Amino acid sequence: MPVEIPKDKWPGSVRTVTIGALPKDGGTRKCTVTVGGETTMPFLHYEGEIPNRPVVAIEIMDRQPDDWSPLLAEAWKDVMDDPAKWAVAAEQAGADLLVLELSLNNRNGEPTTPDEAVSAVKSVLAASGLPLIVFGPGQAEADNALLVPISEATKGERIVLGICEDKNYRTIVATAMANDHLVSARTAMDVNLAKQLNILISDMGLPLDRILMDPTTGALGYGIEYGFSVMERLRLAALQGDKMTQLPMIVTPGYEAWKIKESKVGEGVPETWGDWLNRAINWETLTAITLLESGADVLVLRHPESVKRVKRAIDELMSAKELV
Amino acid sequence: MAEYKVRFDPNTEPVVVKSGTLIIEAAKQAGLDILQPCGGQGRCGRCIVQVMDGTVRHRSSLRLSKEDIQAGYALACQSIIESDILVRIPEQDKIERRLMSDRTALEIEIPPGYSPEYKQSLRRFSIQLSPPSYEDQTDDLTRLKKEITLKLGYRNIFIPLGLINKISQALRLGNWNVTIFLHIGELDDRMKYVQLVDILPGIIAEEDPLWGAAIDIGTTTVTLWLVDLMTGKVHAQVAEYNDQIRRGEDVISRIIYADKNGGLTELQQLVLGTINELMETACKRVKFHRVKPEDVYKVSVAGNTTMMHLFLGVPANNIRLSPFIPSFNQAPIIYAKEIGLKTHPFAIVDCLPGVASYVGADITAGVLSAGVDLADQLTLFLDVGTNGEMVLGSKEWLVTCACSAGPAFEGAGVQSGMRATTGAIEEVWINSNTYEPTYRVIGGGKPRGICGSGLISLLAEMFITGLIDKAGNLNPSLPTNRVREGEHGLEYVVVWAVEAYSGEDIVFTRVDVDNLLRAKAAIYAGFLVLAQSVGVPLESTEQVLIGGSFGKYLNIEKSIQIGLLPDLPWERFRFLGNTAVKGAYYALLDKHSRKRLDEIASKMTYIELSADNSFYEAFMSALFLPHTDLSKFPSVEKAMKSIQYSETI
Repeated sequence: MPVEIPKDKWPGSVRTVTIGALPKDGGTRKCTVTVGGETTMPFLHYEGEIPNRPVVAIEIMDRQPDDWSPLLAEAWKDVMDDPAKWAVAAEQAGADLLVLELSLNNRNGEPTTPDEAVSAVKSVLAASGLPLIVFGPGQAEADNALLVPISEATKGERIVLGICEDKNYRTIVATAMANDHLVSARTAMDVNLAKQLNILISDMGLPLDRILMDPTTGALGYGIEYGFSVMERLRLAALQGDKMTQLPMIVTPGYEAWKIKESKVGEGVPETWGDWLNRAINWETLTAITLLESGADVLVLRHPESVKRVKRAIDELMSAKELV
Repeated sequence: MAEYKVRFDPNTEPVVVKSGTLIIEAAKQAGLDILQPCGGQGRCGRCIVQVMDGTVRHRSSLRLSKEDIQAGYALACQSIIESDILVRIPEQDKIERRLMSDRTALEIEIPPGYSPEYKQSLRRFSIQLSPPSYEDQTDDLTRLKKEITLKLGYRNIFIPLGLINKISQALRLGNWNVTIFLHIGELDDRMKYVQLVDILPGIIAEEDPLWGAAIDIGTTTVTLWLVDLMTGKVHAQVAEYNDQIRRGEDVISRIIYADKNGGLTELQQLVLGTINELMETACKRVKFHRVKPEDVYKVSVAGNTTMMHLFLGVPANNIRLSPFIPSFNQAPIIYAKEIGLKTHPFAIVDCLPGVASYVGADITAGVLSAGVDLADQLTLFLDVGTNGEMVLGSKEWLVTCACSAGPAFEGAGVQSGMRATTGAIEEVWINSNTYEPTYRVIGGGKPRGICGSGLISLLAEMFITGLIDKAGNLNPSLPTNRVREGEHGLEYVVVWAVEAYSGEDIVFTRVDVDNLLRAKAAIYAGFLVLAQSVGVPLESTEQVLIGGSFGKYLNIEKSIQIGLLPDLPWERFRFLGNTAVKGAYYALLDKHSRKRLDEIASKMTYIELSADNSFYEAFMSALFLPHTDLSKFPSVEKAMKSIQYSETI
């Protein structure tokens, strides 16, 4: 007797969002990245469409970071001191797109100036043709001060500007609207908060296909199950037709996995923890793949080896299509 | 272009206008000043006029009912003149009354068919005893009891020691004519429980009043009605702030205070002080009779469970500790002198039954007076105080829950907040072009602060005009100097210092917005969870009854706009004023109502909101203006669109 696989028919679908603009569209990118468009839960190819594969972004900084794990420094070596070189290395490591994070202070310990930030962004754009996401230092005033000039200096590139939060979204959304960019909307892990911020941003007039939502997550063992469930519920709401949750999701497993003790610390830990490098990469990889299964569309990673493994996992999950 | 003649009543000099002119423009031309607090956007309804003759086209009729339109009513700022017309301008105070009619609580009516003989458990009888003699050596007490059994049929009368003292003297002073006061309780259908409450020498005329009091002990306000139990008439209604406020604004802080050394006694004394003072005041208010507090023989008390514990001097600590079990939901009947209530010392004090730690006798009494337990329709009953308690149901079933709204709706915990007394801003309109507010002050003088209803209307106006976004963030880039950087982030200046009573700016801060958002979210989430718990959609609620002293002043439209009340047709809402004291009044008068109260208390299913995370989920989605799911608030969506529309024309 043949087994009937139950299939859901969803009334809604995730919006497709395109990051980056080709020269013919007013940008300078050599390629663009399109995410979203799912009409089913993650990788249920037999049930619906997953027209765009999830993508991997590599996180780079405008200067050598102070608080990254020495394992990351070992992996990237001296390119970390130059965002342009780092961008090229990241592209070679297999990144689909880049995340450039701006530091709060420059090398001399003084606040990063708008000029420094703009030139970092421009050097990355010049060095690599990949689409770009730019995150401010994460403090409302500094974000506004740096992202507005960057947005103006890169008009038309369809950069993703972040991070928009509920108390601080107006300036970033306004400049993204004026300069043909996108925004990344981050909320604490909560379905309602995520939806609310999307409403606030779209109320300002930014089309929904220029918003990525970042529902925030935790590393494996550090609250990932809560993040997983929030993302799953957001995606279920989207498929059920809730317009304000139908946005592709961006998550930062690299940041999460590399700030925990298991990957940050190599000495004075129990021997049973095993090899440090292996452990750290596994942690980042497993965090990322778990989030992939909960509906992530853009994964932001740090270690080149994790990038390789996660991309392989994406390949396999996407090719499962042929099995159906 | 066609021209039309417009006449105004009162003001008969006609003006000539071009076609396409609004009535408001014609009025200006005629030298008439019609108020437009909302800036001519058809939102406030203050510019209502009646077209007696001729035709107009309604651009918006948001504030008008079908009947209004049929009767020729139109909004002057939204009605385009299309023929010669005659327009009547109603007097301003009539407009206010028309718009505000929902604010007045219903008059207190004596329950129909009230008769002390059949309904009242406290009875007064004048009886004549045969004097003792050498032949009849029966003692005074036995003589009295025998006579009561013989004349009235009651056996097993309980007489407290303090009254045995009085009997001999009363019998002799009255020359063996005495008036006795009996409390006749029913243990069950057959067993009666009779207690002597007082004995006075002489005969008292049947029609003389017999005094009782209905009391609601609120966390913030104590209300007392003085009632003649013979006729059922309420002779005085008084209210005062609960003196316990100085030891904490909400029940939790009171419980914590009571747990400290001597705290419980102090809190009990504070509330008794408030009640005793109210009793004095009420007695003085009574016209045509001289009444002393000592003449009050029966008291029915409603109040939340914590207030009831503190009133009786019972430790309340467990109310606050999981799993939230009170010492009692139903206290036994006690005498006034046991707790020091300044009535007759043996007055019967009947503390009405509650349901749970956070659903007390104020709610059962509210359900009784609102008649939720008898309703054919699906009814939502809401009592907004420091806590928001709500009951959903009908004569078939009742479910209830309580959520902590905090004191924001009572004007506390908000920088410029105040209680709804003289000087409080109770309604606000904001012009959506200039962002200038217009407001109404209770008592009409200079504003001193903003009360709960004023805060709700302010929040709604700021939202509708775009001063705040759906998350409550103030918009700093609007062309107004009223939005400025304050001590706690951005704030909106409602009243400039020169116009304020205190000489200081009255402001509404980001923190205030958050407090108010949380309060409204808690209440709406309570509705949702309650409805979900029994599997009925909130929209199927056929009537919403709102109690609490706050309920008298709530503006439905504004409350819906901020997502405090569900988006139902306005006619489904009814304001009942203080339902708790009214329920206590019914219980005071009528033993059947009192019994019904017991049934209500035992019938209600209590839902503890902290038991699962469905409340949190509902709360988070309600923490937005009006709600994360805008489809739950279609009328607000419509109002917002109509504003955007009027901005574009």
